[in-house]
Amino acid sequence: MIPIVGMRGIVKRFGDVVALDGVDLALQRGEIHALLGENGAGKTTLMNVLSGLYRADAGTITVEGEPVEVRAPRDALRRGIGMVHQHFELVPQFTVLENVILGREGAVWLRRNRARAAVQQLAAQYGITLDLDARVRTLSVGVQQKVEVLKALYRGVRVLILDEPTTMLTPQEVDALFSTVSWFTSQGLTVVFITHKIREALRISSRITVMRRGRVVTTCSRATVTEQQLVQLMIGEMSPAVPARDGRLRGDQPVLVVRDLAVTDDRGSRAVSGCSFEVFPGELVGLAGVAGNGQKELGEALIGVRAASAGSIVLDGRDVGRTSVRRRLVQGLAVIPEDRLREGILPGMSLTETLVLGPHHFMFPRGRYDARRAEAACREAIAQFQIVAPDAKVPSAHLSGGNIQKALAARAFLLSSVAGSKLLLAMHPTRGLDVRATEFLHGRLRDFVRAGGAVLLISEDLDELMTLSDRLLVLYRGTAAATFERAKFDPYQIGAAMTGVGTAGSA
Amino acid sequence: MTETQAPSALLPLPYRPRRLPWEQAGIYALGVVVALLIGGVAITLVGGDVRSAYATVLRVSLGSVVGVGQTLNKVTPLLLATLAVVLSFSGGFFNIGVDGQIYLGAIFATGAAFAFGALGLPRVVLIPAVLLAGIAGGALYAFIPAVLRAVFAVNEIFVTVMLNFVALFLTEYLATGPWNDPLAGEAITRPIPGGATLPMLIPRAGTHAGILIALGAVVVVAWLLARTVLGYQIRAVGDNPRAARIGGVPITVITLFALTASGALAGLAGAVEVSGFHYRLILGLTPGYGIMAILIAVLARQHPVGAAVAAFFFAVLLVGSDSLQRSVGLPASAVFVFQAVIVLTVLLAEALRKR
Repeated sequence: MIPIVGMRGIVKRFGDVVALDGVDLALQRGEIHALLGENGAGKTTLMNVLSGLYRADAGTITVEGEPVEVRAPRDALRRGIGMVHQHFELVPQFTVLENVILGREGAVWLRRNRARAAVQQLAAQYGITLDLDARVRTLSVGVQQKVEVLKALYRGVRVLILDEPTTMLTPQEVDALFSTVSWFTSQGLTVVFITHKIREALRISSRITVMRRGRVVTTCSRATVTEQQLVQLMIGEMSPAVPARDGRLRGDQPVLVVRDLAVTDDRGSRAVSGCSFEVFPGELVGLAGVAGNGQKELGEALIGVRAASAGSIVLDGRDVGRTSVRRRLVQGLAVIPEDRLREGILPGMSLTETLVLGPHHFMFPRGRYDARRAEAACREAIAQFQIVAPDAKVPSAHLSGGNIQKALAARAFLLSSVAGSKLLLAMHPTRGLDVRATEFLHGRLRDFVRAGGAVLLISEDLDELMTLSDRLLVLYRGTAAATFERAKFDPYQIGAAMTGVGTAGSA
Repeated sequence: MTETQAPSALLPLPYRPRRLPWEQAGIYALGVVVALLIGGVAITLVGGDVRSAYATVLRVSLGSVVGVGQTLNKVTPLLLATLAVVLSFSGGFFNIGVDGQIYLGAIFATGAAFAFGALGLPRVVLIPAVLLAGIAGGALYAFIPAVLRAVFAVNEIFVTVMLNFVALFLTEYLATGPWNDPLAGEAITRPIPGGATLPMLIPRAGTHAGILIALGAVVVVAWLLARTVLGYQIRAVGDNPRAARIGGVPITVITLFALTASGALAGLAGAVEVSGFHYRLILGLTPGYGIMAILIAVLARQHPVGAAVAAFFFAVLLVGSDSLQRSVGLPASAVFVFQAVIVLTVLLAEALRKR
């Protein structure tokens, strides 16, 4: 049987990073094909190549056996391939109908009635119930998703790609989505379902392709695999046993105590709830979890830029849960922020000025900005962290992503040296760093712990977490679902806890 | 807790790439040349002689002691207004209400001059009191949008624009009502007591000491922004409020300070106009200094010293343009077109150069 879509040897690089490393994938007509993998495995990148958003550096794509060139989303659409992204691309002020026909209105006249009939018929055929005259901004996320799907169908899509479609949905909406999608296949549609949730893949799909680190691990039929096998396939080979570590570094009094913390996200739903844990001096605690399980909101609540709705945060013996960010810096918090561009740098100001943001509270106690002292600190950071920058005065935005990341790490250590920080909150600190810079930063983090400091490391890279951490917390749906001591690190059990499979592994 | 929004999401603040000085000078020269060309076309269209018109502008504004003196008198309010804009822009706040704050400064200064003048205070006390009253008036007026922005996240652009009208009508009321000069028959108040007027710097040219105050303010604002932690924090908030917040910068305090201090500078401009130039409160005290100040601040890339140079240039145009009305018949407001063309050309050239 000729697959409706065949991808062979797809390679995609972003700078030095190989996102897709020779990927093969075949989609059969009328199937629901789950693309399963951790964050950064390459699922979305692969589908972005298929839908024309990215161009592959190598490899071929065939549609019904014929080789095709996909240069832009337009080319993919012409072949009947369309993607519904995680973040919708709808015009909020427009009605459902206007959104569905957007871009296909015809040359001059908005033939609303003719379009309406066509859209209504299409919706009926695919079992989608929608009020075509509702303004999109008044609709819930689940309904907006239906609009996106209908929009794709209106463009004649026969291969529908859904990127993490359940992330923002309520359980009821997920049920509705699944039954709609099942109906699609009876109408001859092929659906690709990108997810990192094993149970969803098992529930909806007919075949599952597991990806890891830019490669396809395997493609299998749902009937032939179990949950546990999929966890193993996703997480990868058992890493060599992590070296044991001397536990005597750990102090007795916790430096950070989080009790029953609850935090809401931007949309007002609970991102963190009933979250409790402790971090002791002289230990590095890793916070593992699939993205979107509350890491971001937990980090922001610890920093003090997002209000906690319940619970307490005690830092070095003092409840800082309601205090300003500055107060927490004084109390001993240092931060490597998650989003280096939006939360990290001062793009229009110099590298020096970016570097002292935070430390400045402690470097210039008398209110005078001492440019010479700041620049000296910056030159030292450039040398130590091998930041590639012409000088200390270069505008921060001129640096590359990796070098900005180094600068932000350097800033956290500068802060800890001028403020005597006791807890370093490192959010994805090695994202975008090359191997050498990563190793250097890992070394600095361990040094900080050895000197009696505490590190809370939030990362999506399980290998990194297992190599560095003395203890691992798994965040699942906003709670610290499981704890693993270093001696009992087991990637399968950790992976199971991350994906919410069973309640395995509490130490 | 209110989430502060990056103002750059609303209006593009000038991005400042690194550029060689001569390159930047070339861009400015280009702006002036293009403006001269377009101005020349306009002058020709109304039947004037381009060369003699431009010569007149320069002669009137710079060609004599009196001309220079009058130009300096125009620099003073322009420069203070520009510094007000520079300070608020640096924090990422769009204070469009400088004109209103100038009026409130002028009102407070006039009121202080009447009140303290009646007490018969000596000049050395009276003048500072008048200036401080102006500063307080502008600051208090800007405190309204500052609080609304800092506490309730209300966009300061709308508030300041609206308050401009309020200030204008308040001035009209005072100038035609309680403080009206019955002898004048215009919307102007009684003159302030002689002891409340700024001394002359160049008596022959009618130049008052306000220019020294403005230049002093340049030094203060430059020092504040570049050499103090407060100024650093203002610039950090202006550049990336989210990063500043994570860096422990108290956004609320910075917002309150930057907008209020901006209003204080505008209020000082109003006080200087009353105390140094008009000797009374008049309707039309500011012919849009606050709006011109935005152009100058953008042109000077929010640098206080650059603002002084650009303000001087704009003042030359302002003074010279009056003469164009007389000699060529070009309306005085044509100067605004001229100023705008310069700014647009410079911004366009910078944008093209950036690619």
